[in-house]
Amino acid sequence: MLKAVVNRCSLVGALMVALVAVAPLLAHAGEVLTVWSHEADEPAKVAFRELAARNLEKQHPGLQVKITWYEKGGLYTALKTALPAGQGPDVFYLEPDQTEYITNGYIIPLDTLVDWSKIYDWARKVWTIDGKTWGLPQEAYTDELYYNKDLLKKLGVALPPNAQFTQAQFLDLVKKARAANITPIAQGVGDRPYPGAYVLAEALLRKLGTDDYGKLLHGQLSYDDPRVVAVFTWVKQLVDAGAYPKNFMTLKLGESHYYFYQKPGALMLPMGSWYTGRAFVPVDKGGQPQDFPLGIMQFPAMDQGACPECKTLAVGASFAINAASKQKQLAAEYLNMMSTPDMGKRWIETVYLQSAVKTDVGAFSGPYASYFQELMARQQGAKYFIGMPIDILKGQCKDTFTQVMNSAFPGGLLPVDKAVSMMNQACYKK
Amino acid sequence: MTESWLSYVRRAPLLLFVILYTIATGGPFLWVALMSVRTTPEIFANPYAIPLRLHWDKFADAWTSSNYGTYFWNSTIVVVTAVALVTVIGAMAAHCLARYRFRGRRLVRLMILSGMVLPPQLLILSLFQILLDYRLYNTLTGLIVVYVATQLAMTVYILEGFFAQIPQDLFDAARMDGYSDFEIFWRITLPIGLAALFTTIVLNFIILWNEFLYAVVLLTEDTRRTLPLGIMHFMGGHQLDVGMIATGLMIAIVPVILIYAFFSETMIKGMTAGAVR
Amino acid sequence: MPYRHPTMTPPARSPELPDAHPAPRRKRLALSPVVVFLAPALVIYFGFIVYPVLRTFYNSVHVIQPRNVVQFVGLANFTALLETDPVFWKAVGNTAVFAVIGTIADVVGGLLLALCLYVKVPLARVWRVVWFTPVLMSYVVVGIIWVWIYDYDWGVVNLVLRWLGLGALEHSWLGDPQTALWAVLVTHLWKWLGFNMIICLAALYALPTEVLGAAELDNCGWIAKLVYVIVPMLRPTLVNLLVLSFIGKMMIFDLVWIMTGGGPLWSTETVSTYVYKRAFDWNTFDLGYPSAVAVLWSVIILVFVLLMTRLLSQRDKLEF
Repeated sequence: MLKAVVNRCSLVGALMVALVAVAPLLAHAGEVLTVWSHEADEPAKVAFRELAARNLEKQHPGLQVKITWYEKGGLYTALKTALPAGQGPDVFYLEPDQTEYITNGYIIPLDTLVDWSKIYDWARKVWTIDGKTWGLPQEAYTDELYYNKDLLKKLGVALPPNAQFTQAQFLDLVKKARAANITPIAQGVGDRPYPGAYVLAEALLRKLGTDDYGKLLHGQLSYDDPRVVAVFTWVKQLVDAGAYPKNFMTLKLGESHYYFYQKPGALMLPMGSWYTGRAFVPVDKGGQPQDFPLGIMQFPAMDQGACPECKTLAVGASFAINAASKQKQLAAEYLNMMSTPDMGKRWIETVYLQSAVKTDVGAFSGPYASYFQELMARQQGAKYFIGMPIDILKGQCKDTFTQVMNSAFPGGLLPVDKAVSMMNQACYKK
Repeated sequence: MTESWLSYVRRAPLLLFVILYTIATGGPFLWVALMSVRTTPEIFANPYAIPLRLHWDKFADAWTSSNYGTYFWNSTIVVVTAVALVTVIGAMAAHCLARYRFRGRRLVRLMILSGMVLPPQLLILSLFQILLDYRLYNTLTGLIVVYVATQLAMTVYILEGFFAQIPQDLFDAARMDGYSDFEIFWRITLPIGLAALFTTIVLNFIILWNEFLYAVVLLTEDTRRTLPLGIMHFMGGHQLDVGMIATGLMIAIVPVILIYAFFSETMIKGMTAGAVR
Repeated sequence: MPYRHPTMTPPARSPELPDAHPAPRRKRLALSPVVVFLAPALVIYFGFIVYPVLRTFYNSVHVIQPRNVVQFVGLANFTALLETDPVFWKAVGNTAVFAVIGTIADVVGGLLLALCLYVKVPLARVWRVVWFTPVLMSYVVVGIIWVWIYDYDWGVVNLVLRWLGLGALEHSWLGDPQTALWAVLVTHLWKWLGFNMIICLAALYALPTEVLGAAELDNCGWIAKLVYVIVPMLRPTLVNLLVLSFIGKMMIFDLVWIMTGGGPLWSTETVSTYVYKRAFDWNTFDLGYPSAVAVLWSVIILVFVLLMTRLLSQRDKLEF
C-alpha cells in the first residue's frame, strides 16, 4: 500500500511541478495591450496594423502592443469562447455583420473614444445602431466587375461609354466567350460563402433599386416578386450558357484570382475592390502579371431596372474594444492611431483599397495610379447601397443564401423556381 | 519449379492489389514532396512533373517565417505529458473496473464510457470556463489537462475490455503469493496488457498530436501555439502559393514520418505482442 | 493449464471477478484499492468532463438571450429541432450513411489488408509501414492533399479517368452534391484503414496455427476459411474496431470542415458541423439550441453503441 501512496504522491507532485513551472508565464510583464486580428495572409494589412502598434509604443514608453494573428474561423471560435467568460483581447477585429457582440454587450460604444472627424460619415453609419457607434470601420470596398481588356477586344466587343452592358449584351458576351473557349466569369465558392452571388445580387440591386433591394434582404419582399424571378431567370440563362468554370463549386477565392489573370485566364472576375490585396503582389506570390490589361466595368444594367447606377458599398475590416478590457483608453488610442489621415493615405497606397478614413484621393501616386483613377471613374454618379447580403442576412436565411444563391444556383444545380422557393421559405417573413 | 511458378501466378492479382494500394497510400506524399521543392508557377505549368530545379531555399524560408521550432517544441511537451498521464490514469481506472467488483461499478463504467460520445464542439465552452477558474487558461498545463480528460474515456474503454480478459488464475496465484493490489497491477496487468497499452499510447499520440479545436481556443499566444495551429496559420498565410503550402505540409509531415520510421518496428511489435512470427 | 500470452484476442474463459472486499488476510479499509485506482481518473473526470456535460444539458433546455439573460424553455429546443429543422435531419441522414457504410468498409477493409500481409507477400514489412503512414497525418494535411487530388482540372482522379479514356466520368467530386459525401468518405477511409489493418494483423498473428492448419486439411476454400473460422475467432477484436470506428464516424468533424464545410447544398453537413455552425458561425451567442442538438446526438450514439456491443458480443465462448 505504501508503494501505491508513494506513487500517487509522485504523480501529484509532478503535476504541481509542472504547474509551478508554467505559472510565471501567467503573469504579465509590464503594460500590454492585446489585439486579435484576422488577415494574416495580407502582408500590407499586417504591416499597416503593426506600424500603428509600434507608433503607439513609441508614444507610451514601457507599453507593449501584442497583435495575435488568426485565420477568420479560428478568430471567431476563440472570441466566441473567450468573451462570454469575460476574457479576450483589448481590441479585436470584426465585421459589420457581427451584431451579436453588440446585442450581448461584449463591446463598448466608441462615440466618445474615437475621433470621428477623421472617418467618413457613411462608414460610421454602418456601425451606428440605436444611436451609438460600436465599431471602428477601417476598410471600405465596392463590388466591381474586373475584366481583361485584351480578351474583350479579341472577342470583338466594345465597352459602351458608360462601361455598362445591357442584359442582352452581357448574355451575348458570355456566349461569345464560351464559343472562343474562354471562361467568361472566373468565380469559385470553394472557401467563401458569398462570391457566387455577386452577379445575382448586383443584378437584383440594379433591378429593384436600393429601397426594394433592402426590403428583399430584410425579408420584407417576397422572392416571388416578378422582378426578382426575372433576374433569377436571366442569371440561369448565363449559367446555362456556361458563364462559370466547371470547378466553380470547389474553386477557392484566391484561386479564382489566379484563374482570372494567369492560368487558364478568364474574361471577367466579379470581386470586391479588395481584389488588389491579392492581385497587386509579386507574381511569384500569386499576383497578377505586371502588364496585365486590367479593366473595370460596371455590372450590367437590367431591363426596366430601377437603378442602373446603383453600386454596393460596404465596410469590411473593423475593430472594436472589448467591454471587459481594463485599458479602454489605451485601446481607443490604438484605434485612433490607425485612423489618422496619414495612415489613411498609407492604407490606400499600400493596400490599394478604399479606406473608411477621410483621405485626399486625388493625391494618389505610385505604380498603380492608373488603376485607382479608373476605380474612381467608375464611382462617378453612383448611388450606393450599403452592405453586402451576408452582412445583412442572419441565421437560417444566411445559411440558405450561402447554399442556394451563392453556391447551388450559379453552380447549375437548381432550377429557378426551386431556388426562389427555398430562399422564400428561409427568408421571407410574411 | 512449376509449383512455385503457379503459386506466383495465383498470387498475381494479390500482388497487383498490394502495389496499387501502396501507390494510393504513398503516392500523395511523394507528390507533395516533389511539389515542395518547386515554385507555384512551375507547379501550375505542370502539376506532376519531376522538378528540374530543386528549390531547397523554400524550406529555409518556411521555417524562419513561421516559427515552426516553437510550435514543434510546444506540441512535444503537451502531447508527451498528456499521453503519459492518460495512460497511467487510464490503466489504473481500467484495471480497477475490470478486476474488482464493487457497488456502483456499472454506473462508474457507464459514466466513463459515455464520455466517448460527447462532441468537443460543446464541451469546449464549459471547459474554457473551468480552465479560467483554475487559472489555467492560455497555458500548456491547461491544455494538457484537457487532453487527458478528453482521451480518458477511450483509453479506459480499450484497456478495460482487454484487462477483463486476462485469466483469473494469474491473479489468484499472485494473491496467494502475497502480492499487494498495487503490485498485482504493476507486475501482472501491465506487462500482460502491454499490447493494449501500446495501442492506446499510439492512438492517443496520433490524436493529440493533430488535435486542433481545443488548441485554437485555449491557447491565444503565438509562443504557446502547438503544431496544428502553426500549420493552419501557415496555410492561411499562403493561400495562393501552392508551392509554399506543399513546403509547409512537408515540414509538418517529415518529422512525423521520421519518428514513425524510427519507432515503427518497436511500435508494431508492441501492438502485436506475442506474435509467433 | 498452459500460460498463453494474450493480445487483443482474449482466451476462452469468462473471468470471475474477485470481490473488492476479499476475505482478508490483511486488515485494510474496505474500499481502498478501488479508491486508489479510480481516484485520479474520477477526479479529472468530474472536474473536466462531468461539469461541462451537466452545463450542456442545462443549456439545452434554455435559450441564451442577448445580454446573457438565460431563459428556461423546457423542451422547446428539442421540439423545434425534431419538428422544424430540415438541416438537422439532412445532417442526421448524412452522418448515419457515413457512419454505417464507413464503419463496415473500415473494418472489412482493415481485415482484408491485414490478410494480404498475413499470407506472406514479399516485402510485407515495407507495405506495412507505408500503409500505416496516413494514420499519422493530421486532418489538415490529409484534407488539403485530397482537395488537390479531387480538383476538377488538375487533380489526379480526373486526370487518371481522362488517361483511361473514361473522361465522361469526370466530376467535380467535392462540388457535386451526389458525390461529395462519398468523396469525403473515401478520404476518411484512406486515412484510417492502416490502423484497423495493424490491429487485425496483431489479432491474426495471435491466432493458434493449429486451427488454421486443420482448416487447410479439410480443403476449405479461402473464403469459407475466412468466414467460418477466422472471423469468429477475431470477433472481440472486430467488435472493438467496429465500436471505435462507429463512434469516430458519427462524430466526424475535422475532415468535413476542411474539405467542404458542409456543402454543397448540405450534402456533407454532419451533425457535428451543424452544431459547430450554430454555436460559432451563426451571428448569435445562443448555446441552447446547439446544446440540444449535441445532447440528442450523444444519446443516440450511446444507445447505438450499447446495442452494438450487446448484440455483437454474445456467444463469446469458443472452446479450442
